[in-house]
Amino acid sequence: MVDFSLSPDAESLRDLARKFARTEMAPHAAECDRTSRFPEEIYRKAHALGLMNLNVPTEYGGSGLGLFEQCLIVEELAYACGGMTTSTIANCLALEPILLGGTPEQQRRILSPFCSAYQLAAFCLTEPSSGSDAGAVKTRARRDGDAYVLDGEKCFISNAPHASLYTVFATVDPGLKHRGVTAFVVPRSTEGVVVGKDEEKMGHRASATGSVRFERVRVPASDRLQGEGDGFSLAMRTLDQTRTPIGALATGIAQAALDHAARYALKRETFGKPIAEHQAIQIKLANMTQAVHAARLLTWHAAWTIDRGGKGTLESSIAKCFASDAALHVADEAIQIFGGYGYMKEYPVEKLLRDAKLTQIYEGANEIQRLVTARELLRAYS
Amino acid sequence: MEIVVCVKPVPEAESRLRANGAGTAFDPEGVKFVLAGYDESAVEQALLLKQAAPGSRVHAVALGPPGRTDEVLRASIALGCDSATAVTADVPAFHDPVATARELAEAVRGLGKVDLVLFGKHAGDDEEGLVGSAAAEALGLPFVGFVVDLRHDAGRLRFRRSVERGEETWEAPLPLAVGLQQAWNDPRTATLPAILRSRKAPIARRASGPPDAAAGSSVAERFALPPPRQGAKMIEFKSPQEAAEKLVRLLREEAKVFP
Repeated sequence: MVDFSLSPDAESLRDLARKFARTEMAPHAAECDRTSRFPEEIYRKAHALGLMNLNVPTEYGGSGLGLFEQCLIVEELAYACGGMTTSTIANCLALEPILLGGTPEQQRRILSPFCSAYQLAAFCLTEPSSGSDAGAVKTRARRDGDAYVLDGEKCFISNAPHASLYTVFATVDPGLKHRGVTAFVVPRSTEGVVVGKDEEKMGHRASATGSVRFERVRVPASDRLQGEGDGFSLAMRTLDQTRTPIGALATGIAQAALDHAARYALKRETFGKPIAEHQAIQIKLANMTQAVHAARLLTWHAAWTIDRGGKGTLESSIAKCFASDAALHVADEAIQIFGGYGYMKEYPVEKLLRDAKLTQIYEGANEIQRLVTARELLRAYS
Repeated sequence: MEIVVCVKPVPEAESRLRANGAGTAFDPEGVKFVLAGYDESAVEQALLLKQAAPGSRVHAVALGPPGRTDEVLRASIALGCDSATAVTADVPAFHDPVATARELAEAVRGLGKVDLVLFGKHAGDDEEGLVGSAAAEALGLPFVGFVVDLRHDAGRLRFRRSVERGEETWEAPLPLAVGLQQAWNDPRTATLPAILRSRKAPIARRASGPPDAAAGSSVAERFALPPPRQGAKMIEFKSPQEAAEKLVRLLREEAKVFP
């Protein structure tokens, strides 16, 4: 029989994340949002507690968690601050291609230093002219002896301004489209790596996002992940793993918005009684509650499917897409319940709306998630 | 140094408690029991002493049904305790403190040579503060309460003790039992790998002895939650003078804070 209860082990991990989120992250969330500060001290603490490289196996010093436990942790962190969560889990995204496609030697050499000391990695797929169309990357990788020379630019890269390592997707031949895409790991210290400025963003302002330019960057062939042309599939398999935690991140934002709205509705009075006693508000709160529950259960189901060895492409696309739409909707309704106060930066809910918005865009825009969902669905009927 | 910390599972601070059917205690059903407050500081103190005296070992001991003891013992191991012992007893949430102390003392004795037994000043739920001194009596150890900042120095302990309007500085030989004052030491947070390891750590189990007629027999007769708080009273006023007059009248006549 299916079981929705958490094991004591899972509960103890969730409790750790909850404690960290509420005592270390939440007190700084508003300030980091206002000033767009990257709170490195918080990320260092997250690393020290083992909350950073959640997907890296314990043999390399990581936390070695399954996707379900990762999701429990990510939801708790995002409840306190979406932006800090993005920066905390960006290593999981950047290191996943090495977990999926690295040789044992590459895994040991590259992953271990990330676990033994605080360091950030960044996943470099998106380019100024290719986001969802990942097969159209223009960054070139030209073979030169026992190395490759990389030229091109990546943009909107989470943690890029602070990362020491980049996982880069480049093409050995643009004519080959997605069959030319090849993955490399490139240390920031390599000559020709130019890190752009931290972008000003609408939300996730405690996270840093920037561009990385590769100007005749020489990368030894030993730092290529899998073979030439294997990069597109590697990127897609990576996103199959990391999409579900974005559902959890969105669920955390939605839960925070619901909690703020419900507490406020019980306190705020209009027409002689708390607004929670007006049906107009009750219906909003009920719809928000439905959305949060559904987002969480879809996320748990996707994680459970993948942890049991399933591919989970359909489930994770549904979860990411639904939860991020739910987060935007619930945050929007929370602002509506707060009324004018909700629109003010002094209150916490407008930040949730700005943070929720990104979850519809990154790690596969929701339009792509719907295309994937439709493709998987139709395949079952054809 | 062999250090024992006696830890009590107490309801999580955010728990919504309700009375059990008999109205004699809170109903433990659905309540999450955690290592909290004073006991967390006691574990931290033990771990600091261990760090300062390499080769020391810290043992955690708890009493109660396994559902309650195991979580606090695993939490203690995750923080750095070396071993854990559960005294399994189907005791009510409020259990006679002298009987509890005797059970804990038996368990501590079972650990062999012990230099220091630590207790939180009192538990975070009933706040009785009786078990530490009663267990010390049962162990035949001297007991000092309200202690802060224990330091080990060549077989002796130095510590401070809060007293009214000041502080005493003490030095005492081992073995000793100590009741620790509140969280002065900013307890550490267990890391994720340590939590995962603690889930698989063995917990030694002892059955509790037969009821001891000589050990106190206090029984909680009634458990009731405090009445709901009355809402705040808003003062309506047109001038500050009027507000002040109304406030003083309320404080004098209703709240009775001045004659």
